[in-house]
Amino acid sequence: MNDFIVVYSTELMRRIKSRPFQIGLLIGIVSIALFTKLPDLLRGAASHTTDVVLAAPAGVLDRAKTLLANDYAIVATTTDVSPPDAAALKAHKASAWISIAGAKGLKVTVYAKDPSKNWGVVGRRLAPLNVALGTDISQARLAALMAVPVDVRALDAHFASAEQADAAEGIAFTLLIFLYMLILINSQLVMSSVAEEKTSRIAELLVASISPVPLLYGKIAVATTLALLQLAIWVTVGIVLGTNGMHTGRTIDPGAMLGGGVTATEIVSFLILFLLGFGQLSMLMAGLGSLVNRTEDLGSVSIPVVMPVVFAFILAITAIQVPDLPWIVGVSFLPLVSPFVMFARIAVTDVPVWQIVLCVAINAVALWAIAIAAGKLYRVGMLLYGRAPNLKQVWQVLRS
Amino acid sequence: MLTVDHIRKEFGKVRAVGDVSFEIPTGITFGLLGPNGAGKTTTMRMILGILTPDAGSITWNGKKVDGTMRRRFGYLPEERGLYGKMKVREQIAFFGRLHGLVEPEISQRTARWIERLEIGQYADRPCSELSKGNQQKVQVACAAVHQPEFLILDEPFSGLDPVNADMLLAVFNDLKAQGTTLVLSSHQMWQLEALCERFCIITAGENRASGTLADLRSAWATRILRVAPGDDAVRAVLDRVPGATFVTTDRDSVDYSVPSDTDFSGVLRSLVGAADVHRFDAIEPSLHDIYIKTIGEAA
Repeated sequence: MNDFIVVYSTELMRRIKSRPFQIGLLIGIVSIALFTKLPDLLRGAASHTTDVVLAAPAGVLDRAKTLLANDYAIVATTTDVSPPDAAALKAHKASAWISIAGAKGLKVTVYAKDPSKNWGVVGRRLAPLNVALGTDISQARLAALMAVPVDVRALDAHFASAEQADAAEGIAFTLLIFLYMLILINSQLVMSSVAEEKTSRIAELLVASISPVPLLYGKIAVATTLALLQLAIWVTVGIVLGTNGMHTGRTIDPGAMLGGGVTATEIVSFLILFLLGFGQLSMLMAGLGSLVNRTEDLGSVSIPVVMPVVFAFILAITAIQVPDLPWIVGVSFLPLVSPFVMFARIAVTDVPVWQIVLCVAINAVALWAIAIAAGKLYRVGMLLYGRAPNLKQVWQVLRS
Repeated sequence: MLTVDHIRKEFGKVRAVGDVSFEIPTGITFGLLGPNGAGKTTTMRMILGILTPDAGSITWNGKKVDGTMRRRFGYLPEERGLYGKMKVREQIAFFGRLHGLVEPEISQRTARWIERLEIGQYADRPCSELSKGNQQKVQVACAAVHQPEFLILDEPFSGLDPVNADMLLAVFNDLKAQGTTLVLSSHQMWQLEALCERFCIITAGENRASGTLADLRSAWATRILRVAPGDDAVRAVLDRVPGATFVTTDRDSVDYSVPSDTDFSGVLRSLVGAADVHRFDAIEPSLHDIYIKTIGEAA
């Protein structure tokens, strides 16, 4: 236990001070900031393209303004419907000039900087006014007739409304990205740390002092701690930026989601599945990392382990859409895959308790088996220099 | 006492150590010799418990070497390795902690070793910024900071300038005086001869010779007889010595190989009667000579 604590405390400080960890943390923070703020910024930029000047006869102007207000920022109005020039647009800092003529039948002309934009919306929005002007039906009555209420109700009762279901998908997607980033980034840091110790030849000195097992598990424990620390920081950043910043009403809003939209079940399952998935992957990475003689070889060695994780992430995205497909249910029990797919299912549907328990049990057993295999590889691999072992030799080590 | 009893280690089809046995009494300095690939490093790794022997046993004071015991051992491997970004002081303290030291002893011992090895100016700098020689000193401090009972040093002098080599030599002698049993592996025979009381020569994974230098010399069948002047009168006397063969000559002296049981007093008397002899040396084989001959015979 003392060996484990010594390795853990030293490795923790070493890794916190290391540049890869600090850069990874920073990249995560910047990514989350962009993720939360970028839509706002983009929408801000896009809003310039919908600043318009509205020109219409006096009797039509106010009613047209009301109908178009939701889609366009009307920066100025005028009753002068004569064609504008570019200077007039520039003077109002507008991107288009909507000119409405006619009293009984409306005729709309849009003078736009960007004619390719979908200006057909103007016609559709003004349609009730056009009908009101051409018939005896009041505009209010017509609007009421045109608004047909649609009430969407979920049959499986997992979500009370369509909005909740939509939000849950967004939450699941966001947390999946967190899960994917945490597992992949940190397990690769474990791998590079192991390879660094081997290539710097300090490994022999370490295993001469203590058993390789606490050394390996100490590293994994440090990586897990740092991953959870990263997660806590990222979530905090997401909440702060999301709460104080955008409220777009769109599905993907990490701040708002993490601040209040995530359920206790999701948090618990996220943590358990993260620990299982991260444990499995980092153990494998550590075992493989001990086999390389040059850090340049890490990329090629890690591919066989990274690919299933990428595949699992893609499957998980599918699982968000169709969580109860039989084959999706099947793969949600597979080690390395289930941390992603099972989590996606839990986030968007009611997964039977027995399935969750079975999934956790299978993955816990897999973690145990992987830990033993990785320990064997690590014990031998750390002292193996020269030619990299072939698959047959690796198999012999695992069977020993 | 460390007892290595018929240990064997194979890696797949490669036999790294076939059959090696020796004993190292407590408190001595022991030289482990052999050419590259002889199995020295594998033997050391088995002593330290890094590798498990396929056969045979290793005991320290009659008990099998285990994790607790290993904590009292120290090791300086041939391939040096340090955490490049970790500071010198932190590095030495880390290895102290790994070997069970606790504060304030860690800080005290770390400071003592930094002072002893004259690396105080680098104490708070990352190891990667140090020269190879100074990194070597840090490694020695890491291996010995816990005052080990048993210390294995694999090529401890490689890459060191004479001044630093002498410093380490003094450090090893200090450790020995404090009761540490030392095992040295080196290709610098003169250093081993100066430091070690007992030796073991292994090649191709097997013992070829072991014992004190006197033991090794006693198994040597000849001596070199160096006589000056090396003129014809002297050579005529030496040619008559039973079993003597001419080896070489220079301006002042002549070397003959003679059987080790030669009556050297009788030969000297004959020489004095025949020539004006002013030098007469019966030269015993050096460790280097014994090593070269032993390795040659094994090949």
